[in-house]
Amino acid sequence: MLSGCLDFHTQYRLHRRQFLKVGGSGLFGLSWAVMHKAEALAAQAQTKRQAKQLVILWCNGGLGHLDCFDPKPDAPDTIRSPWPVAQTKVPGMVLGERVGSLARVADKITLLRSCNAKGYPQEGQHGIPAAWAFLTGTRRDTRERQPNIPQSPLYGNAMAHFRFGPGDVPPNVILGSARSHDSFLGVACDPMEIKVNDPSDKLKQMLAPPRDLLELDTLERRRSLLESVNDQLRQLDAADDLIGGLDEFKQKAFDLLRSPKLREAVDLKREDPKSAERYGRADTGQRVLTARRLIEAGVPCVFVDIPGGWDWHGGSNLDRAAGDLKALGDSAAALIEDLDARGLLKSTIIMIGSEMGHTPKINRPGFGREHWNDAQSFLLAGGGLAGGTVIGATDKVGAYVTNQHYNATSLARTIYGQLGIDPDHELYTADRRPVKLVPDDAAVIKEAIG
Amino acid sequence: MKLPSLLWLGSLVAFLLGPLDLQAGEGRTEKPSLPAEPLFSRHIVPLFSRLGCNAGTCHGTVPGKNGFRLSLFGADPGLDHSRLLREFGGRRLNFTSPEQSLLVLKATGQVPHEGGKRMAVGSPEHTALLGWIAKGAPLDPLDKSRMAGLQVSPRQQTLKPGERYRLQVRATFSDGSQEDVTSLCTFESRDGSVVMVDREGQVQAVGPGGAALLARFRGQPAVSRVVVPAEAKAAFPEVKEHNFIDKQVLDQLRRLNIHPSDVCDDATFLRRATLDVRGALPTPDEIRSFVADQDPTKRAKKIDELLARPGHAALWATKFSDLLRPQFREDNRVWAEAAYQRRFYEWLRARFLENTPYDEFVERILLATSMEGKTKEELLQNLQQMAEEDAARSPHLKAYQERRTLDLYWLRANSNGVQGTIQFAHAFLGLRMQCAQCHRHPTDVWQQDDLLSFANFFNRVGRQREGTVPPAEKAKQAEEIKKLQEQAKKLRDQAKDKSLAKDDADKLLAEAADVDKKAGMMNRFNYLRSSFTHVDHSPKGQFVAIDTPLGKAASKEFRLLASQTPVSLPAEKDPREVVLAWLRQPDNPFFARAIVNRVWAHYFGRGIVDPPDDLSPLNPPTHPELLDELSRGFIESKYDLKWLHRAVLNSRTYQQSAQANASNRADRVNYARFAVRRLPAEVVVDAINHATASAETFPEISHLPAGTKAIEVPGMTNFNRDGSGAMSAASLDYAFQLFGRSKRQVSSQCDCDTGSESSLVQSLYLASYGDVLKKLNAPTGRVARLVKDIPDENQRIEEAFLWVLARFPTAGERQKFQAFLKEAKSPEDGTREILWVLLNAHEFLLNR
Repeated sequence: MLSGCLDFHTQYRLHRRQFLKVGGSGLFGLSWAVMHKAEALAAQAQTKRQAKQLVILWCNGGLGHLDCFDPKPDAPDTIRSPWPVAQTKVPGMVLGERVGSLARVADKITLLRSCNAKGYPQEGQHGIPAAWAFLTGTRRDTRERQPNIPQSPLYGNAMAHFRFGPGDVPPNVILGSARSHDSFLGVACDPMEIKVNDPSDKLKQMLAPPRDLLELDTLERRRSLLESVNDQLRQLDAADDLIGGLDEFKQKAFDLLRSPKLREAVDLKREDPKSAERYGRADTGQRVLTARRLIEAGVPCVFVDIPGGWDWHGGSNLDRAAGDLKALGDSAAALIEDLDARGLLKSTIIMIGSEMGHTPKINRPGFGREHWNDAQSFLLAGGGLAGGTVIGATDKVGAYVTNQHYNATSLARTIYGQLGIDPDHELYTADRRPVKLVPDDAAVIKEAIG
Repeated sequence: MKLPSLLWLGSLVAFLLGPLDLQAGEGRTEKPSLPAEPLFSRHIVPLFSRLGCNAGTCHGTVPGKNGFRLSLFGADPGLDHSRLLREFGGRRLNFTSPEQSLLVLKATGQVPHEGGKRMAVGSPEHTALLGWIAKGAPLDPLDKSRMAGLQVSPRQQTLKPGERYRLQVRATFSDGSQEDVTSLCTFESRDGSVVMVDREGQVQAVGPGGAALLARFRGQPAVSRVVVPAEAKAAFPEVKEHNFIDKQVLDQLRRLNIHPSDVCDDATFLRRATLDVRGALPTPDEIRSFVADQDPTKRAKKIDELLARPGHAALWATKFSDLLRPQFREDNRVWAEAAYQRRFYEWLRARFLENTPYDEFVERILLATSMEGKTKEELLQNLQQMAEEDAARSPHLKAYQERRTLDLYWLRANSNGVQGTIQFAHAFLGLRMQCAQCHRHPTDVWQQDDLLSFANFFNRVGRQREGTVPPAEKAKQAEEIKKLQEQAKKLRDQAKDKSLAKDDADKLLAEAADVDKKAGMMNRFNYLRSSFTHVDHSPKGQFVAIDTPLGKAASKEFRLLASQTPVSLPAEKDPREVVLAWLRQPDNPFFARAIVNRVWAHYFGRGIVDPPDDLSPLNPPTHPELLDELSRGFIESKYDLKWLHRAVLNSRTYQQSAQANASNRADRVNYARFAVRRLPAEVVVDAINHATASAETFPEISHLPAGTKAIEVPGMTNFNRDGSGAMSAASLDYAFQLFGRSKRQVSSQCDCDTGSESSLVQSLYLASYGDVLKKLNAPTGRVARLVKDIPDENQRIEEAFLWVLARFPTAGERQKFQAFLKEAKSPEDGTREILWVLLNAHEFLLNR
């Protein structure tokens, strides 16, 4: 038996792309699908899968921890949030008033007040390794400097790779846009990007093509004719990997077009206006609501780019931040309630996070905070994680972590653990270097696990 | 430290030239053992490698693991020794009771070890390690134990499924001694469906096929080949060879008892070859006349005809753009970059149109200079011509095409020094040297010093921005341009005069446009002159040095890859000339092979060495004799690429059907049948347009006329830095993204960045993307034409098949499609649906 460190050029000498390409010798002649299944099994071998789905509410920029998840009401007013606090039923769990809606679900959420990417490359800046660490689990991400070198997978890419979800929905969806979302796992694992509010969104258009161009009710008829052509090919090259892949993807494309599941999930006109209202301000609310609908439809990973300006430089951010925070709190609370009511919270992890924290010291004349990397907060809920818990703490002014410090790597290992994916699973980069899904070691956040 | 890296070359050559001895060798069965008194560098360090301790994911990583660091893959035994002995208060080794050494306890899993249990107590490894510690853990003289050779036996073996034998590996060291190192090697089978090998070197045949086995000791590879013939159920069919390629391929198939598929039919051949040679589909007329042609040499004639078509040059200019990656940092202005990319592509295209001999082609890239012997006046004339072309938005770029050399190659980002060397090695030698930047390459033979010493050849290319416009002249020019602009404005104002006759007003406007154009041209000329960057040999160039996470390194000598002797070079001599002479040596192990193998991979979806950009001795060819013969023939043809294309295309192997037979269903590597491939991104777009009688349109900034084929698009398709649509060929850009056109960025070097996978969104794109549907619905499109021109349904179906799938429908298909048309709401609807169905058929995306 070969060791995990040695076996990569034995078993995985062929890069994945070569493997999928027809004519590649295949992994010991295994078929494309079997290979994927093997990967999925290998990943699940170690841990039991608690969670099947994941929603990430991502604030591109910094989520001011003092203003939402780690308020310091007793700090001087050069530091203290301009907004009051909201108490919750959970001892020690105090929230910023702007995200006070979350008090309704306090028993379902875990506040992680001691997690950061301290010491990671270029901490405290946008889009550099430290910021990406929260989404990829690696501290070595260089996608912003080297945009064309495929990088480690984001959670959704990995979940797609390990074959989460039913066949008739895409495994990985981005609502809004991510700064970057591809990985060395290849295009098949890349997310589908849906711009909820944009009627010209390419994917939405493809899911619901104009009637004068394609009548979806003619699909069934077309499909049976198409099958007669494809059958011909299947008989000729039955065992072919590429044809197997085409079979699967074409089938899935048809399912997406025929089955109303995804199309309806992204069609908010179908939502009861009252329930939609609970999600708060239009842009944020619509995205988070769409996320809920996608989770209901079975999509494994939904990444929501939370609209707003999460960069609070200068001293005139009061109104903007107030609105953005409120929208985040309202929509997240509604999401958690709705998933719970539908029995989906147990199997769905929700994570709210941002690239960095914000400085304790407030910029004047109005309100603003700068980037800060020594303290930052995350909210976790569902998916077998503990509820009604606060983990870690910062000092009196929210500047430095005082206990239970965890880094981005710990967070990734915890989330992957709950998803039943082995964070030490070895993947192979484009130039065939072996790299673990989460390359570095770090303790799992045990307190967060329910 | 540079000596060992070259040993493989001798063994590679010996291996390739050695007679094919296919008799079963005498199988060793006894288990290999370790020496009683192991030496640190000879035995203990390889032991660490074998156990995986010094791999990149374990203690070989930059910070080490849990405080214990080893040099990656055992590259530095001296350093490893001192770390073992001195660090951690010397607690890693216990000389009085060696079995209590932390090193031993960890490796045997007796105390918690994150890396798990690596060896068992009482195992030969355990015993050897204890023996070495008991002796006081000495460091042996490193000079005596450098590698001088590695042989594996048997080199060739033929066996039946289930049969076993053991490999034996012998190493020769620098002191002349030889040793059996089998128990210190790692083994790898290149095809686990044919043969497996365990960590003791025990080989077991699994299923029919041919495969290579690799044994590695201290980074050096030795190759052994295994043939496992299939059970002969029927006599090998009588097959007519077309040329030497078939002889080699069929010889291998005969050895393996795998029967080749039949030759494919004419329509399949025509579609396949047209797609592969010129990146397009044949027209129905072409298909009909080819199929009807009774000339027995029609395929050879068709191949010649296709190779002479302009699409062939466009396809290879695209492929070489993917390979050479014209990404420029010279100017951040997007339009400048686009102009460079256009010229780069057009220069390549011109060379492929002329069929420039490949060695000369590379010479004109490698030795490129900006002046190429021109006078300053000639240069200015050349720039003036380019300015005129730019100002006229001309898609024809003669001024640059006609240059002898491609100086833009050296203006690409990172094109000299270590990065440039890695690019060069990837593009022209088919080597992947990235890893050698920091450490010994883990899956290759290259050491850091090999790369750095080779890089010195590429570090004396001067790139100096030296504007050719004197400041006084610049001011004068600016004034003149201003005057022209004013003049144009005046003419336009005059034209606004309501009292003027329309003709006169138009005349004034035309005059204004002329003046504008003149000003634009002057502007452009000024820009080209002031941004002119001079590429030439620079005697002042420095030696390369590199700073990596593993430390700093430098080389102060010029040494060619796979050579042990440094070259001495006077400062005034351009070192690139030495590289060129080396490339042209007939025994150069990489140059001809790299292109031959890439051309082969283009036609078969896999290289004889695969991946095709990994000509590493650790990645042996499936058909070594064939690769040799092709390379030899290519050199003898004076590097004539068309000779190479012709040889491949005319072979029976290329013309085989993709349809499997009972004996070759599982075959992937022996070319018993044609391997199906997905079409490249550009070809997909062109095929959609061909099928639907549509054309792409382009924004003005691209300088491309409407109807330009995707395969002729030289560079970027999105001219907005922010990715918004206003200045992009949006539809084309999206298709390129989905189907994986190469991003052509110099930051990564891998043939694999050109997409060949299928994906869900690709399927959606063909089924329901607005622009594709619009092409089906266009009033002047294929559907409208078919309905208007061909009232007979059966004929219309046939025509639709020919346009989209380039084949005739089968009888069954005709029947089903006719029934389908009868049920349609109208002939238009029915025909549109049929075309949609054909466009969405698997076949459409495949070359098969």
